[in-house]
Amino acid sequence: MLDEATIARIAEEVIRELTKYGVPAAEHTKQETGEDIDSPESKRETLLTNPQDGEALQKMKRATTARIGVGRCGPRLNTRTMLTLRADHAKARDAVFADVTPNFLEELGLFTVQTCCGDKNTYVTRPDLGRKLCPEAVETLEQKCRKRPDVQIFAADGLSSTAVEANLSRILPVLTDSLTDKGLTVGTPFYVRFGRVGVEDHVAEILGAKVVCVLLGERPGLATAESMSAYLVYNAHVGMPESKRTVVSNIHKNGLAAVEAGAYIADVIGKMLAQKASGVDLKKG
Amino acid sequence: MTLFTVLSGKTFTFSSIKDVLAKASEKKSGDILAGIAAASDLERVAAKVVLSRLTVRDLRENPVVPYEDDEVTRLNQDSLDMTVYQEISGWSIAQVREYILDYKTTEADIKRLGRGLTAETVAGVCKLMSNLDLIYAANKVRVMATCNTTIGRRGTLATRLQPNHSTDSVEGITASLFEGLSYGSGDALLGLNPVNDTVSSLTEVLKRFDEIKNRFEIPTQICVLGHITTQIEAVKRGAPTDLIFQSIAGSQKGNTAFGFSTDTVREALSLLKEKGTGKGENVLYFETGQGSELSSDAHYGADQVTMEARCYAFAREFHPFMVNTVVGFIGPEYLYDSKQVIRAGLEDHFMGKLSGVPMGCDCCYTNHMLADQNDIENLSLLLASAGVNYILGVPAGDDIMLNYQTNAYHDAAALREVLGLHPIWEFEKWLEKMGIMENGRLTAKAGDPTIFTQRR
Amino acid sequence: MEEILSVGIDIGTSTTQVVFARFTLDNTAGYFSAPHVTICDKKIVYKSQAVFTPLKTASLIDGAAVRAIVDKEYAKAQIQPTEVQTGAVIITGESARKENAAEVLRQLSEFAGEFVVSTAGPDLESVIAGKGSGAWQYSMRNECLTVNLDVGGGTTNLAAFEDGETISVGCYDIGGRLVRLDKDGTISYSSEAARLAADTVGVSLSVGRRVSAAELERVTDKMAALLAQSVGLLPEEPLLRRVKTAGSSDFQTIRKPSRFFFSGGVAACMENEETNPLAFGDIGVLLGQSIKKTFSALSAPFQPGGETLRATVVGAGSYTTSLSGSTIFYTEGVFPLKNLPVCKLTAEEETDCFEGRTEKLGQRVRRFLQQNQTSELALFLEGKSDPTYKELQNLANAAAAVLEQEVPVPKPLLVSVRRDMAKALGLAMHRCLPDRKLAVIDSVQVGQNDYIDVGRPLMEGLVVPVIVKTLLFG
Repeated sequence: MLDEATIARIAEEVIRELTKYGVPAAEHTKQETGEDIDSPESKRETLLTNPQDGEALQKMKRATTARIGVGRCGPRLNTRTMLTLRADHAKARDAVFADVTPNFLEELGLFTVQTCCGDKNTYVTRPDLGRKLCPEAVETLEQKCRKRPDVQIFAADGLSSTAVEANLSRILPVLTDSLTDKGLTVGTPFYVRFGRVGVEDHVAEILGAKVVCVLLGERPGLATAESMSAYLVYNAHVGMPESKRTVVSNIHKNGLAAVEAGAYIADVIGKMLAQKASGVDLKKG
Repeated sequence: MTLFTVLSGKTFTFSSIKDVLAKASEKKSGDILAGIAAASDLERVAAKVVLSRLTVRDLRENPVVPYEDDEVTRLNQDSLDMTVYQEISGWSIAQVREYILDYKTTEADIKRLGRGLTAETVAGVCKLMSNLDLIYAANKVRVMATCNTTIGRRGTLATRLQPNHSTDSVEGITASLFEGLSYGSGDALLGLNPVNDTVSSLTEVLKRFDEIKNRFEIPTQICVLGHITTQIEAVKRGAPTDLIFQSIAGSQKGNTAFGFSTDTVREALSLLKEKGTGKGENVLYFETGQGSELSSDAHYGADQVTMEARCYAFAREFHPFMVNTVVGFIGPEYLYDSKQVIRAGLEDHFMGKLSGVPMGCDCCYTNHMLADQNDIENLSLLLASAGVNYILGVPAGDDIMLNYQTNAYHDAAALREVLGLHPIWEFEKWLEKMGIMENGRLTAKAGDPTIFTQRR
Repeated sequence: MEEILSVGIDIGTSTTQVVFARFTLDNTAGYFSAPHVTICDKKIVYKSQAVFTPLKTASLIDGAAVRAIVDKEYAKAQIQPTEVQTGAVIITGESARKENAAEVLRQLSEFAGEFVVSTAGPDLESVIAGKGSGAWQYSMRNECLTVNLDVGGGTTNLAAFEDGETISVGCYDIGGRLVRLDKDGTISYSSEAARLAADTVGVSLSVGRRVSAAELERVTDKMAALLAQSVGLLPEEPLLRRVKTAGSSDFQTIRKPSRFFFSGGVAACMENEETNPLAFGDIGVLLGQSIKKTFSALSAPFQPGGETLRATVVGAGSYTTSLSGSTIFYTEGVFPLKNLPVCKLTAEEETDCFEGRTEKLGQRVRRFLQQNQTSELALFLEGKSDPTYKELQNLANAAAAVLEQEVPVPKPLLVSVRRDMAKALGLAMHRCLPDRKLAVIDSVQVGQNDYIDVGRPLMEGLVVPVIVKTLLFG
C-alpha cells in the first residue's frame, strides 16, 4: 500500500516530468473541464515553461497584449496557442461576414436600407458600390427621414457587424441626448446594410444634413472584433476629398467606452457647426 | 507591334500596350475593380500570347505613365543601361522569359539583363511566368545589400522583427522585441510601425532600440517606420537610426499621395550619410504592395502588377538595404483570396529581384480577406525556396497594432530548418553566443524572452 | 503643446528651499482618436539655495521670515506668482508638527500663485522625496526594488518602489537636527526620539549638558542601526516602533531591495568629507558617517540620489501634479476647486447607483458631510469600463439627486470617476441640474481621507490639473 505522502510525491514527479517536455500541468486539467482556451484568463496564462525569470515574464505580459511567452514545440507553436489563434481568426471572420440581427435593430427603432451591393461578397470587393445607396434606399430615406437636420446620424455594418451590436445601443442615445441638449436638430436615425464610410456623403446629399455622422464597424483584428469608428463631415457631398472627414476610432469596451465616445462626438459636432468645417480644416479648441 | 491575335478560332484585339499588360495579368480583384481586367480566361491567355510577341523595345517605348508627367517613368528610362538595352531591344518577351529560365543563363547574366529592362518589361515577363517559373527564376538570383550586416547571401533567410504595440508603449514594444530575439528573429531589422507618427514618439522608440542593440551587441539594423519626413526630423534632432523607411508607389502621383518626392528621399540619404548609425552603403527601406496606386487613384489605368514593377524601378535608384511587398495588407478589393495573394507575393519577389532590389516579403492577410494562416505559411515556404531575403516575424503571427496577421517568430526557425537556411552570418554567431541557436537549430533556451531582462 | 509652470516649496525642519519646474503638455493621441493629454516633459528651471528655516523659538517657525525667503527666490528666478499654475508647498518633518505650521502654510499658499496647494503628511513626503531623488525612476528603469531614505533634520522618510510602483512608505523620527549644540558643545535641544536612542547606549542628552563627539557617535550609530532595521537589514528591536513618526504607515519590504538611495540634508553630509563633526551645531555629519559605515558593513548597495539635499523640493515641484482624463465635463468658471474632502463610494454603494437606487448614496453623503463638518465634497467612484445607457442614466440621476439635496447652493459639485466616462456622466448630470456649478472628471486615483485640488483647465480646456493630498490640518 502506498501512503498519501508517497502518492503526492509520485504525482509531483510526474508533473515535473511532464513540464520538462513543455506540457504545462494546467493543460491536463483543462482537458477534463472543457475550459475555454479563448477566455481572457486563459490568454493571460503563460505556456512557456521554466522561464529564467518568471516574474519578469509576467510583467512583460502585462505590458502588451501581443502573444508573448507562448513557448514552442520544436520550432512550432504549442497546440493551444495555435488553436487560440484560429478561434480569434474565426471570430474576426464571423464579424465581417455575418449580418447584424434584425431584432437588435428593431429594438433600437432603426429601419434598414441597403447600398448598391447585393451581397457580402460584392461588398468586400466593390468599395465603389458600398458607397452608394440603391434607388430603393434613396426613396425610403426621402419618405421616412426628417429633411435638413443639423445632424444626421446613422449606423452601418462596415467591416464588423459584431462592433455594431456591441456598441450601438450605448453610443446612439448618448449622442442623440447630447446633441439635443445643445439645441441641435437631429435627423431620423437608420441602419445601412453593406455600407462603407463614403455612403455618408450620399446620405448627406439626400437629406441635406449640415453634419453627417456614420457609426460603423472597423476591420477586426484578432484582439477585438468589437471596435467601432465614427466618421463625421461638415457639408458632405459625393466626390469630396477624404481629408474632410473627422474620425473617432477605437470605440469599444477596452478602448474608448461607447457612452463616453457619444458625449465626445457630440462636442466635436458642436465644434464643426461653429467652425463650419471638418477633417483637416477643423481647428482644435 | 501587333496588338491582336487569333486564339482557338477567335480574334482578340487590344487597344494599347497598357491594355495588353492589364489583360495578360493573372486574375486580381483590383484589376476588375479598376475595370481593366480580361473579360474571360481565354481573353487573358490571348493577351499573354500578344504580350509574348511584343519586343523589349515595344514595352520600353510605351511606358504606362507618360515620361513628361511622371518622375518615376523618367528615373526608370533615364537610368537604363543602354549597352544592355541595345543588345536585347529586339527580343520578344517570350525570348526574355526563356533566356532567364535557360540553364546557360547565369546569375550574373540575369543581373546584367535586369539593368537593361524597364518596369513595363519586367512586369511583362512576370505575366508570362507560372508560379514555379517565378520561384525557379527568382532562385537563380540573389541581391545583396550592406548596412551594419549584409543581407541576401545565398543560404540565408533573414527576418524583420516587428514588435508593434497598440499604444507605442516602449515597455510593451521591448517585451515583444525580446520574445522575437529569443526565437532568432530580427537579423534583417528591428523595425516598429508606430501608432503615433510624431518626432518624440519615434525618438523614444529608436533610443530604446539603439540601447538594446548596443547593450547586447546585436549585429543588426534598427528603424521606426514613421513617415519619411518625421524620421528625417527625428534624425536631425539626434535620434539614432540605421535606416529610413518609406512606403512607395509606382507613380509620382502615388508618391505625392504618400506625401513625399524623390527630393525627400535624397534628403534622407544625405542626412543618413552624415548622422545615421548605419555603417554600410545601403540605408533605405521601402515598402510596396499591389493595389496601392489604384487606392489613391494614381494608377493611370494600368494594372497593379505593372504599377508594382514601377515601384522597384523607383527603389533601385536609391540602393536600399531592404524592400518588401506587404502583399496581403490591402484587402480583398485588390487581392481577393489566398490564390491571388500567393500569386502576388511570388510576382513581387521575382520582379523585385529582376529589377535588382534586395527583396523581402511581408506574407500577410487581413481578416476581411479569404485567406488564413495556412495560406501565408504556404507563401513563406514558397518564397524561402525562391531565395527571398527576409520575411517578417511578430508574436504568434498576430500584429496587435496593424490588426493583420503575418509570419510568427517561430516560422523563420522552422523554414530555416526545413530548407537548410541560416540567419545572417554575424547574427547567427550572436545567437550562438547568446545560447539561442546551435548547429542551425533553436536550443532549449530559445523562446524565453526573459534571458534579456536584466533585473539589477 | 503647452507649457505650464510649477513651483515646489519645502519648509523642512532644518532648511527651506524653492524650485520651479516647467511642464510640457501634449495631446499624444493619434489623429483618429479621442484626445489624450499627458505631461510629456518636466524640466527644473530654477533651484534655490537651501537656507536654514527661520525659527522664532525652538518650536515656532518665523512665518514672516519664511515668506521673505520665498519672495526673494521668486524675484531671483524672475517669476511672478501669477505665472505659476500648479505646484505644492509642503512643510515636512518636525516642522509640520509645529503649532503654527498651518498658519505659515496658508500664508504661503495665497502668496505663491493662484493654484498652489498646501500639502503635508509623512507618507506623502516619503513618496515625494523618493521621486525627487531618482529612486523611483531607477526602479522603473532597471525593473527592480529600490528604497529611498530621505534623512532630514527631524525625520527619515522611507519609500520602497518596485518597477515604478510605490509599494510601501514609512517614517521614523531619526534626523540630523534632533540634537542641537551650542558652539562649546553644550546641548541646546534634544528630541524625545533622540533621547530614547541615546538611553539604549548609555548617553544622556539632557539640555545644558556638554557632550563629546565620541558620545554622540554612539547615538548616531544606534540611529543608523535603527534605519538598517527598518529596511530589514538587521533584526528589529522594540525601540524601532517607539521612534516611528506619529501618523505614518508601517514600512515593509518583502524582499531585499536591489539598491538603497539616500537623500535629504544628512545624505548630503554622507558625501561631503566634512572634517569637523559638529560643523553645523547638530548631529547631521555624525549621522551621515554612521549610516555610511553601517550600510557598508552590511554590504548593502547604496548610493546618493541624483538629488540629495533637494530631493523633497524637487519632488514637490515635479511629482505632485497629475492630469485628469482628456474627455471631461465642467460648467463655466467652476475651477479652481481647493481642499475638497474625498468621499469614496464602496462597491456596493456604486452598484446601487448603477441600478437606480439612491438611498445608500444619500445616507453615505449625509454622514460624510456631518463627520467632516463640511458642506462640500468630491464624490469619488470607480465607474465601469463599458456602462450601458441605462446604467449611465441611473448613476447620473442618483448622483444629481443626492448632491442637489445635500450640498447647498452655491457650492460647486465635483464628481471624480476612475474609469473614462466623465464627459458622458457630466452631460447626463448637467441635464438634471442645469443651473448647478458642476465638474465631472476622470482617470484620477484617490484614497479614502484624501483631499483634492483641481486647477483651471489647460490645453484649450481638454484637461484640468489635479493634486491629491493628505492634509494634516484638515
